[in-house]
Amino acid sequence: MKLALVELRRRPGRFATATVILTLIAILLMFLGSLLDGLIASSTGAIRAQDADAIVYSDTAQASFVRSRIEPDVRAAVEAVDGVTQVGGIGNVQLGARIPGNGPRDLAGVALFGYEIAPSDVPAPPPDGQAWADEVLKADGVEEGMTIELGPARSPIEIVGFVSDTSFNGQGSLWASPETWREVLSANRPDAQLGPDVWQGLVVRGDGDDLPARIDAATDGATETFTVSGAIDAIPGVSEQSATFNQIIGVTIAIALVVIGLFFALLTVERTSLYGVLKALGAKSATIFSGLVVQAIAVTAIASLVAGALVVVLDLLIPPGSIPLLVTPTRLVTSTLLLVIAAVLGCAFSLRRVLRIDPASAIGTTS
Amino acid sequence: MNTTATTAPVDTALRMSDVRKVYTMGDGSEVVALDHATLTLGSDEIVALVGPSGSGKTTLCSIAGGILSATEGRIVVGGEDISDHDAKELTKFRQSMVGFVFQSVNLVPFLNARENLLVVDELGKRTGAPARARADQLLEELGLADRAKNLPSQLSGGQRQRVAIGRALMNDPALVLFDEPTSALDTKLGEQVMELIQTEMKSRGTAAIVVTHDERITHFCDRSVHIIDGRLEA
Amino acid sequence: MFLAFKEMARAKVRFALLVAAIALLVFLILFQQSLQNGLITGFIGAIREQSAPVLVYSVDGQRVIQGSVITPPLEELVRTAPGAGEVGRIGQGTFTGVPSGNGDGETFDVTVIGYELASDGEGIGAPSEVIDGRLPAGDGEAVVSDADVPLGFGIGDTVTLQPGGTTIEIVGVAANAQLNVSPTLFASYDTYVDAVKSVNPDAGDPLPNVLGVIPADGFSPAEAVVSVNDQSLDLDALTRDDAAAETPGVAQVQQSFNIIFLLYGLVVPCVTGLFFLIVTFQKANSLTLLRAIGAPAGRLVTSLLIQVVVIIGAGLLIGTLLYFPVSQQALGGVALSFETGAVVFWSVLLLTLGVLSSLVAARRVLRIDPIEATTGQGVGA
Repeated sequence: MKLALVELRRRPGRFATATVILTLIAILLMFLGSLLDGLIASSTGAIRAQDADAIVYSDTAQASFVRSRIEPDVRAAVEAVDGVTQVGGIGNVQLGARIPGNGPRDLAGVALFGYEIAPSDVPAPPPDGQAWADEVLKADGVEEGMTIELGPARSPIEIVGFVSDTSFNGQGSLWASPETWREVLSANRPDAQLGPDVWQGLVVRGDGDDLPARIDAATDGATETFTVSGAIDAIPGVSEQSATFNQIIGVTIAIALVVIGLFFALLTVERTSLYGVLKALGAKSATIFSGLVVQAIAVTAIASLVAGALVVVLDLLIPPGSIPLLVTPTRLVTSTLLLVIAAVLGCAFSLRRVLRIDPASAIGTTS
Repeated sequence: MNTTATTAPVDTALRMSDVRKVYTMGDGSEVVALDHATLTLGSDEIVALVGPSGSGKTTLCSIAGGILSATEGRIVVGGEDISDHDAKELTKFRQSMVGFVFQSVNLVPFLNARENLLVVDELGKRTGAPARARADQLLEELGLADRAKNLPSQLSGGQRQRVAIGRALMNDPALVLFDEPTSALDTKLGEQVMELIQTEMKSRGTAAIVVTHDERITHFCDRSVHIIDGRLEA
Repeated sequence: MFLAFKEMARAKVRFALLVAAIALLVFLILFQQSLQNGLITGFIGAIREQSAPVLVYSVDGQRVIQGSVITPPLEELVRTAPGAGEVGRIGQGTFTGVPSGNGDGETFDVTVIGYELASDGEGIGAPSEVIDGRLPAGDGEAVVSDADVPLGFGIGDTVTLQPGGTTIEIVGVAANAQLNVSPTLFASYDTYVDAVKSVNPDAGDPLPNVLGVIPADGFSPAEAVVSVNDQSLDLDALTRDDAAAETPGVAQVQQSFNIIFLLYGLVVPCVTGLFFLIVTFQKANSLTLLRAIGAPAGRLVTSLLIQVVVIIGAGLLIGTLLYFPVSQQALGGVALSFETGAVVFWSVLLLTLGVLSSLVAARRVLRIDPIEATTGQGVGA
């Protein structure tokens, strides 16, 4: 154990190449993971923020707000469901926003929500003509007190404050009163305008695990209802993205395992005579092998640490809005843990070799 | 750990009786490396084991040191009968009862002189402070106190040899096995090393087998035993 | 030659592990290359494959067709731009659709692109080329992208849009013409308008999302773009290629993949270099011996380089073989294809980088002094 660490300290050069390769692999893992987190966070924030037990779309909407229409009678049916305590309408429109100080062609993409029940960390709807803005819009120059113009109709919206982590479809969101949203929608997207009291979706609070099923039963199949986490997965592309990225991450970990296996197998071969001597001096195979494992874990930990730092720096260097990277401690720590597990498994390749080393090899030839 | 009754008198460091070692080759034929070898060493006796290469001296040495198991016969080292020890028991035995000085010195290259001595404790009992005190004392006695922090690559051949001797003595062994200690050294240095071995062993009352094919150094030993084709000849 | 192969035959596991690592890396690189191209084609293929050389968005749309709305005053400005020849309206919407050809009755997010149909079925914004069937001859007919045919969007099938029940019959197939990685139908502009109104009875008349422009005589597409943009700060004209490349998301996808490819490109030579360096280090004794008995250093280096080429070559081959079946699949709606260019590019690059990285090991071989063989030094030396 101590021997293994002393070797690492005294002969860092011997481990440098493996550390560099593992660092690259760790960067790859953390980058891929952060990219996935970023993509998902920026397309699901507005749904994740909902402080609700169910989200209701119309049955053919495929969990898309713009395609969903909830008529007043459907809303009444939902409100009448047993266990439902609160129902609020929600609607969305995605538009380009003209921000004072930016060039005439330099618009920011925004998702304007009209809401009745406030999501977590979003205050109650502000007076008409005003909105809370997601703080990602600060990167586009949005400031508190500023009036921005939405869409071709240049609908004015005054920003009254900021909220966080409520992005939708990769765009920063604005949270406004239902009336403001309806006005902006019909002024800018006549093809998507809705009649009075018609909503795109409903946010429902209530009791019971089977709430979504009971709502859909009560509306006679006119709705498709999800839990919040179900609604997140149902956002088009989210589950496909996760699956693809996770497969790539899996193969990358397999490569890390092979690299570590290869490296420590070679290191073991190279140190056969040294291990022979140690065994002659009374070292157990277990002691030698655990030394290898300790070294593998140490090298992986160092590589992960460096990679984590570099990914954080990369995140700071990437201009906001170019690559949707979300670097979280959870992602960095899980990536590190996965690599450490791969390192330990990779070491197992060398176990047989260590067991086979004959202490007699330390003394001349045995025959 | 060891339930075999010990019959050897305590003033005997090694007692090998009728020890055979037979290797089975790939084609099924057998090669006898050691043939009915019987050898006894007093508790502070230094014996030169002389023979040409391939004569079986390394095999004898390995068996006496608990690195290799005999095919038949009894081996008692420092009062412990290791004839029927399994690999695990042999490992423990090597940790506590014998010391080795290998032909090519074989110090751990990334450890300094003092740490090369402490390796023995690290791999065995892990006594900590007493081991550190013993390492310092041994280095002092071997004239290496000022070299304690040097890596093997920063030591001369003779100094490395002395570190190796210190390492062999760390566990206060009943028997130290020297494998061709002078083969890589010139005559003068070789004699110095043998003198050192003689002094250190005698002053501690520790028995030693010095494997060599160099007749010139045998006069540093109490007696010589010749081995040819696996048979011992006094 | 002899030495190189003998050594590999003796240490099969070791060399096999390296081949496996390289093969996995090659597979990943090629797979992601296909994924990148598939994603981008699925994302904006329809823009590349439509016939209008210039597309005019409103600045508000930020280069997303569905986000762009051309108001009547803006449309008038485009029509009167000196560089604009013929101008056609293009509308686009995403609908929930059920194709009759899908045995499971699955519903899909269906993109409908409406363009103004001329009497011959052509029109500005029509698919440039139909690989099967024909262009729509009237309302209620559509050309579909080839990737969607296996999902039940074959010629003769009808797609029912929900709610409202508007039906569109498929009459032709165009290659690589998806938009937003969803089944994509090219239909008449009126069909598009009907579709919008049928799913939302509250909808007013939809305005066109973008305008397709054929440059006036004497104007190149680039000149027409400048001419249209000069009409108003609210107009955003782009050539067909620019419209495809500038669609939000495309650049991000490319940048993200480029960073990933760069890292892979670094890992492969590092792994190879490390491996051969350690192997060389480990057999230093026998190499010294070979030098002592008269083997020229050049021969030993050649032997090393042969091994590098064979190992990386085997890794490339196995990686490509793993990649081939995967490249024939569709992944979550993204149609992948075998990218021969990528295989050649990465093969040459990885071989070159691998050989370069193993030069470190070669240098070590060249530094071996035959005299070392006579002064056998121990582990401690």
